[in-house]
Amino acid sequence: MQEDSVAIVDTLTQVYSQKWTGAEQIDQSNAFIHFMYSNNLIFVVLGVTLIIWAILLFFMFRVDKKVSSLEEKINTDQK
Amino acid sequence: MKAWKYLVAVWMTLVIAAGILIYIPEIPILEQTARNIFFHVPMWMAMFAMFTTSFVYSIRVLNSHDPLFDIKAESAARVGMVFGICGLMTGSLWARFTWGTWWTFAEPKMNLAALAMMIYVAYFVLRSAFDDEEKRARISAVYNIFAVTTIPFLLYVVPRQLMSLHPGADGNPAFSEITAPELRYVLYPAMIGFIALSFWIYDITHRYKTVQSRIENS
Repeated sequence: MQEDSVAIVDTLTQVYSQKWTGAEQIDQSNAFIHFMYSNNLIFVVLGVTLIIWAILLFFMFRVDKKVSSLEEKINTDQK
Repeated sequence: MKAWKYLVAVWMTLVIAAGILIYIPEIPILEQTARNIFFHVPMWMAMFAMFTTSFVYSIRVLNSHDPLFDIKAESAARVGMVFGICGLMTGSLWARFTWGTWWTFAEPKMNLAALAMMIYVAYFVLRSAFDDEEKRARISAVYNIFAVTTIPFLLYVVPRQLMSLHPGADGNPAFSEITAPELRYVLYPAMIGFIALSFWIYDITHRYKTVQSRIENS
């Protein structure tokens, strides 16, 4: 480790950018952001869960339809 | 696509939203994890529903020798296993933060639930041992009828006779008058929703397996 190298940048103890202090600027943000910050952030948990559920549902509907089309295909082939 | 599947989709979305958003009373130790009852307990109810379905089709296999019933029995047992594994894993995570350990051998319900899973693993191992479809269908049906009879004993009868941290042990019913009534408004719809969801997954599974066996046999 070349400790005197200029290439080494301390990203762990120093704040790199002021953009991450978003929580402190809540007053300037819109109504949706205010809503999500309310009630100890529980709506963020709701959002995460619903995203997972929506994607799983989409997948289930897709597989169901694919099986249906296979069933139709096999039924017409055997006739 | 049948209409009931859209109903399940909407119903479960509402159950998940309500489970996270509903006001629940403050319960010591459990705190917000009391919401887990909406998701952990229905896993087991869905597993029971699937194992019962599997049991019914195993009896029908022995009655009629229709290979379609064997496919249905196997599919239901598989979906039941998936829900059982979800139940074990959610229970283990919940146990870590309320009982303080991921797994304890002092807890009968936890270990007997794992044993019940093992009994169903043996069902799939047994199935894989036969090449002759007729023989596989009949012998695995007999084993499955034995397997399902162990479930109520392993998950209800024996745990109630023993000291346990899990609700529903040591003579207590799991869900009694000491349970906050607010939890019931979501728990019962969640049970219905997850059981319906398990039937949906089972529906896809057995249809795919039927198509697969028809292609293989044609």
